[in-house]
Amino acid sequence: MSAEPGAGTDAGAPAERLTYEQAAGRVEEIIRRLDSGEASLQETLALVAEGKTLIEQCAGELAAVGSALEELKLDELVARLEREAGGA
Amino acid sequence: MLATMSLHTGADPAPTGGIPESALPGPYPVGRYAAKLRERLRSLARVQLLGELVNLRVARTRVYFELRDASGAIPCAAWLNDWERMLANGQAPAEGMQVVVAGGCDYYPGSASASPAFSFNVTDLRVAGEGDLLAQIDRLRKQLDAEGLLERQKRLELPTLPRSIGIVTGESGKARDDLVAALERRGWAGRLVWAFAPVQDRHAAPAIARALGDLAATRAVEVIVIARGGGSLADLLCFCDETLCRTVSMLPVPVIASVGHHTDRTLLDDVAAVSCSTPTHAAEAAVPLDCGRARAEQLAAAVRLSEHAGRALAARSRQAESAGRLSEHGRRAVLDRARRLALLSRAPAAHLDRQRGRLHQQLREIRAGARRRLGDERRLNGTRATVVGRKADATLRECRERRPRELERLVLALAAHDPQRTLERGYALVSSPAGEPVTSAAAAKASGELSLRFADGELPARAVKR
Repeated sequence: MSAEPGAGTDAGAPAERLTYEQAAGRVEEIIRRLDSGEASLQETLALVAEGKTLIEQCAGELAAVGSALEELKLDELVARLEREAGGA
Repeated sequence: MLATMSLHTGADPAPTGGIPESALPGPYPVGRYAAKLRERLRSLARVQLLGELVNLRVARTRVYFELRDASGAIPCAAWLNDWERMLANGQAPAEGMQVVVAGGCDYYPGSASASPAFSFNVTDLRVAGEGDLLAQIDRLRKQLDAEGLLERQKRLELPTLPRSIGIVTGESGKARDDLVAALERRGWAGRLVWAFAPVQDRHAAPAIARALGDLAATRAVEVIVIARGGGSLADLLCFCDETLCRTVSMLPVPVIASVGHHTDRTLLDDVAAVSCSTPTHAAEAAVPLDCGRARAEQLAAAVRLSEHAGRALAARSRQAESAGRLSEHGRRAVLDRARRLALLSRAPAAHLDRQRGRLHQQLREIRAGARRRLGDERRLNGTRATVVGRKADATLRECRERRPRELERLVLALAAHDPQRTLERGYALVSSPAGEPVTSAAAAKASGELSLRFADGELPARAVKR
């Protein structure tokens, strides 16, 4: 039981550093391990926690790109950047 | 040369006096001189020239352009019918092409109302072979490679999931729509920044280079795509421009070249970070992550994890349940034992307690029973009293109301049954000496002694046996 919180922090810490591909790759790895049925109960719970953190990270990155394709001309972008710079 | 060309023969100086201090001949009328100049220029050897065709314009009867190279230029002109003959011969000269022209110098002397013009009169033309162009491009490629410029872009890291993409393309090209469609197919929902530039003529290369520089300068795009549909090598020549290629190689933002089809290979393709042959490939290179699929995969992975988590939690709860049950069993066993021990140790006291309790209970029951019976009796007595009272009342009422009538009736009835009245009608009542009525002959015989009662008195009698 005392190893469980440790496994939780292990799941959280590397998630900060992983790129999208690394995170997605790790999730696949986790699912493979879980599907194998070889993971102990304690390991399963730790892997699930880590996987959920990673999926949330991936989903966050996708969401950060935007919700709909936006098109603007270079002049408009420059004007917007200038406004933002002026506002700041 | 012009001094020898002045040719005094038949060209007398004008009557007006010349510049007094000048040693030169003349003055001559300019028109006559211009005609002589044309004559002289036309007499120069006819040759072939090689250069880049620029500023092509077709007028009503003449076609004008310039032929240039790095060290000089010559204005050229051709008669429209000559030009059309050249086109009919399979030549397709266009702006920016390397061409070989055949012809010679000519001079239009102009008039009082028209400007003069020098031109190389082109009577034949051949578009320089692609081999020539390719050789030039290849030389430039080797040059750039030697300078390490073909590798610079390839060392830049392409973002997996850019939020902002710059696109340099023609404002009215199909490439534009194709690229947007391809990005949408990938489920990408970021920001697209358009920098429009001509993508074909001699203005194209500098304009594209400028657009790239401007996009990169904003620092707001993570990758830039240069897009243009297919075309001839001549059409795509601007993408082999040395200045443009050097600009691209030095950009800090990765550039994806999507110029022409897979058969077209421009210098830009060599310099750029990635070279693509279709807008779909360009979209894939710009956004390596298929966002739509990634979303679906994330969902599927989340579902799988949930399933595993559910199973694991169920297993854990089963374990916990088993452990709980075990401990429950243990606890219950201990309690049972403790309880039994306590019972054993407290047995006499418990027995007394039980008896005391039983007695108390019985006492309570008796009291309750007594109370209940008392209550019942009280209720019963009350009822009885009520009934008796009612009956008394009724009797009283009878006494008061019905009795006198009843009495009268009884008196009459009694009177009807009064034996005295029967005796008065001639009957006699037979009784034994004890006064018991004798109602049969046999009884009279058995009694022997009899008493006969008449209406007016009694007589003793004896039954006689015969």
